[in-house]
Amino acid sequence: MKIPTPILTLIVGAALAASLLISSMSAVSAKKAALAAASANAGVASGATASQPTAAGTATASAQASSTPSATASGFVIPPHANYDGEVQGDLGSVAVAVHDTFAVAYFCNGSTQEAWFKGAPHDGNLSMTGAGSSKLTMTYALGHARGTVTVDGISHVFSIIAVHKPSGLFESIAVVRGATVKAGWIVLPNGTTQIGSLNPNVNAASSVSQAAPKLNLSTLTATDDGVTLVATPIDAETGSGF
Amino acid sequence: MATESEPSPPTRLDPIQPDSAAKLLVVPALVGCLVALTLGLYGRLHSPTGVAVDVIGFSSPATVKAWLASGALLFAVVQFVSSLVMYGKLPWISAPRWIGGLHRWSGRIAFILTVIVAVHCLYALGFESFDARVLAHSIAGCLFFGVFTAKMLSLTRRGTPSWVLPALGGLAFALLVLIWFTSAFWFFSFFGFRR
Repeated sequence: MKIPTPILTLIVGAALAASLLISSMSAVSAKKAALAAASANAGVASGATASQPTAAGTATASAQASSTPSATASGFVIPPHANYDGEVQGDLGSVAVAVHDTFAVAYFCNGSTQEAWFKGAPHDGNLSMTGAGSSKLTMTYALGHARGTVTVDGISHVFSIIAVHKPSGLFESIAVVRGATVKAGWIVLPNGTTQIGSLNPNVNAASSVSQAAPKLNLSTLTATDDGVTLVATPIDAETGSGF
Repeated sequence: MATESEPSPPTRLDPIQPDSAAKLLVVPALVGCLVALTLGLYGRLHSPTGVAVDVIGFSSPATVKAWLASGALLFAVVQFVSSLVMYGKLPWISAPRWIGGLHRWSGRIAFILTVIVAVHCLYALGFESFDARVLAHSIAGCLFFGVFTAKMLSLTRRGTPSWVLPALGGLAFALLVLIWFTSAFWFFSFFGFRR
């Protein structure tokens, strides 16, 4: 029997869709397994520095037992104070999250026009936060590692980031310059030197477009924008600064 | 070409004919609706993973999709122009013999490109409604595949009213343009051309 060509077109399209779907599923489960392994290693590393060998041991054991790190609530060690940061997948920006007891602050920026600040309350290793406009961030985290999705200006970015300590982390600066409230944020990546920052020249104006933030001097925590010195505050869950 | 939405009355000699011709459209229309509905429901109910298969040579899934969608639009423009030629709407161009083949193959390539993009969209991002652009894109994306399926199925039926193919084709093309403007065009204008 000869199949009419339009039907053949539909069949080929459906077959292609099905094969892409299957390969996507296997790609995602492979990524999940890699993340589980990474979080197990990160658990050991940060556990050793934080001198919590028993806690790290539990985290490693549970991470190896389960291949799905999303099962954070059951078995992973949830640190009460932790900072996480890193680049999002696809290299379209970076994200930093600081969790301090019952409160969390997060920031996404791409070093130019796109940025968003988030606030929220963590719950059992899960964090769901909203920011200005329709931006949102959802994340699960455990000792040493966090992963989730941040949506800013309609674009979703997936991230898998690690726990960081000073000088890496999140920095914020708010200043009133010539009547306008200038707010800047910087993310210092886990290597402790690379920084990504965006600056909103007028927080209260809806039409205000963010721009690249001036370079933050990490020893003095100051930056110079248009001749005005901005003083940055670390948002550090480990010291409680900025909370 | 989509302006011929009124069936031309002169063929109404036999009262049974328009009725049976309309009946021929029932199955394609129903299957098309089912496809659009299935995609929408899947996109809404499946929790988006954010990731899918990576295509090498591009920096991120978003850029892959923007370029593939632009490719699909290019072939869709070929579709549109070749159909205008086939229907004799461009009187200064006489339809060459290969115009049918060009129309079919440009359509097939465009369709395959859209399938690749759509799978990624549905699997990684889902049907979203957090702003007007995203909602319009989600709805148009589901409708596009429904209209395309209906068009493919009605092609196989002899005796469908003459306005059906131009209407479905024109609708599919209009939806694809809307989809492209709410995604790839927006992406490129936001981030600039990047690979």
